[in-house]
Amino acid sequence: MFRYIWSFVDVEKDPLVVLVTGAAGQVGYALVPMIAGGSMLGPDQPIILHMLDIEPAAEILKGVKMELLDGAFPLLKGVIATTNVIEACKGVDIAIMLGGFPRRKGDSKDLIFRNVGIYKAQASALEQHADSNCKVLVVANPANTNALILKEFAPSIPDENITSLTRLDHNRALNQISENLNVHVGDVKNVIIWGNHSSYVYPDANHATVDIGAGLKPVRELIADDQWLNTEFITNVQQRGQAIIKSRRLSSAFSTASAACDHMRDWILGTPKGTWVSMGVYSDGSYGIQPGLIYSFPVTCEKGEWLIVQGLKIDEFAREKMDAVAKELMEEKAVAYSCLH
Amino acid sequence: MISNLLNTLIGTSLYCYFQLSASPFTVFIDSRNPILVSLFRSSAMAKDPVRVLVTGAAGQIGYALVPMIARGIMLGPDQPVILHMLDIPPAAEALNGVKMELVDAAFPLLKGVIATTDVVEACTGVNVAVMVGGFPRKEGMERKDVMSKNVSIYKSQASALEKHAAANCKVLVVANPANTNALILKEYAPSIPEKNITCLTRLDHNRALGQISEKLNVQVSDVKNVIIWGNHSSTQYPDVTHATVTTPAGEKSVPELVKDDEWLKSGFISTVQQRGAAIIKARKLSSALSAASSACDHIRDWVCGTPEGTWVSMGTVPAGLIYSFPVTCRNGEWTIVQGENFSIFPVVFPLMSSQGRS
Repeated sequence: MFRYIWSFVDVEKDPLVVLVTGAAGQVGYALVPMIAGGSMLGPDQPIILHMLDIEPAAEILKGVKMELLDGAFPLLKGVIATTNVIEACKGVDIAIMLGGFPRRKGDSKDLIFRNVGIYKAQASALEQHADSNCKVLVVANPANTNALILKEFAPSIPDENITSLTRLDHNRALNQISENLNVHVGDVKNVIIWGNHSSYVYPDANHATVDIGAGLKPVRELIADDQWLNTEFITNVQQRGQAIIKSRRLSSAFSTASAACDHMRDWILGTPKGTWVSMGVYSDGSYGIQPGLIYSFPVTCEKGEWLIVQGLKIDEFAREKMDAVAKELMEEKAVAYSCLH
Repeated sequence: MISNLLNTLIGTSLYCYFQLSASPFTVFIDSRNPILVSLFRSSAMAKDPVRVLVTGAAGQIGYALVPMIARGIMLGPDQPVILHMLDIPPAAEALNGVKMELVDAAFPLLKGVIATTDVVEACTGVNVAVMVGGFPRKEGMERKDVMSKNVSIYKSQASALEKHAAANCKVLVVANPANTNALILKEYAPSIPEKNITCLTRLDHNRALGQISEKLNVQVSDVKNVIIWGNHSSTQYPDVTHATVTTPAGEKSVPELVKDDEWLKSGFISTVQQRGAAIIKARKLSSALSAASSACDHIRDWVCGTPEGTWVSMGTVPAGLIYSFPVTCRNGEWTIVQGENFSIFPVVFPLMSSQGRS
């Protein structure tokens, strides 16, 4: 409808510039056709894609650009494939940071060390060359800490514009509930992912509901198995990434890409009424969580802004879990800062 | 325009209506617009899910394709789907991983997923079948070796589709050699209407559009009506004789704008013919996302109809061979574009060379 009416008034939206770092990798390959096809920003939003990766991946990136052209995507108004971070960041409205050092066997300290340098450099480039209201989503792990580094070194990017992905865990949690109750996942909503996408992630179903046709029912009531909700449900979500690696011999790519699209889409276009989603955002002290961390909270979104859902009751069990993950994040923050100073 | 508006208000052809705007519509819609949301909700509730089979689903193309199908890129934002994914036993674990990722993505349109190595289970009740599975050509293999391996695969899948798929199941063969695999399928599934068995040349079609748009420095969405004649192989022929570009001053002929017949008869053709190899050289893997995307385009235009004044290329069976023609689609059926002043060069040349090949 929009297109036909608009074509009479000849008003097509200006293209938005979307940056994907690490675009030559698995998740990038799943993500770019979703963006080009309108799954991230809507069917009437033209896009210019900027794809960034490192020099060894330059040929592969070129191949991805060729395939995007071959896709004849009507919304895709331009593609830049580059290894130059400044060219990549110029004029960018939305940045999806997939690029980072992958986890190797060993401790997570190593992962943090390797990524601090990357995120410091990219923060600089974004701050100097991206649009002043650029919205950033960090996906590469350790996502929350990478996002924090980015924030530290790009102080003129508004705090609220830097987020990390926990939507994948959120969607996985919705699925676990839908499988348990044998309902469609589209009828389940309002789980919460507290904290960090890590093995300490805490999926909380205390406020989740299911649409049973005759209204909304609390998940806790329908499942009637607090034991499962407090144990297996949590570990299923925590270990899902590993389970997929075990089956596919590769880590989740399209479900990660899809969650990134969901995160950005809801942020920019707004969450449906009565529904919240999970996003890693800059903590302001809500729910007793230390300010100055990137921590995942339940949020609603409207007019391009997110707002933490306030006033939810937190029981003792949840409190403990939420504090444990806050502690993990403070430790990661300390490790990251120790590499910088 | 008015009938389209009416359709929109009734809410039954929302997706197809958007298609007329040549903008692939996706599953969600601005949730702040209550009228459209409720129209969508009511039409989403009204539609029964369509069963879509993807064979070879554990591979690269399958992995790119299944999220597109689950998000509504193939059949529209108001069409629920049930995915059937088939692959061979060595890929069963990987296939299970793909199923896990599908459910983890919480796609609202995805009403069920079957991941199986059993061809009967895979084919049961299927409305759309996208055959990505096949035996790929390896280095040193003769063409006849590839063909004999694929004959047994497509023979058994033909049987299963014929016996267990839904009536009027639409089939798209993607796995190479696509035209030949489609022919085998047709031979061994005689009760599937010939017109329902097609093969993919939309990738070449889209690649040709892309090359023209790059040459003329215009948006690819403003280029249309190239034709891919023949076989998805190195003898296929991209023809721009009737292609046009939409400009502010109306539709202009591509050959006139390009002003370089030499390029159009040589460089342009060989670029499109060899594009697959160029991508393998760059990515070290064959095209997956563009193959998946063009498979979605092929099915979507077939089922929802091509926009007014636009045709697309599909490998079809009008006369006992599978051959790519320019077609328009309406009400779920394709029709070869007739009455145009097409030269016989593109029709005769590839036929001659295909006889030489077998």
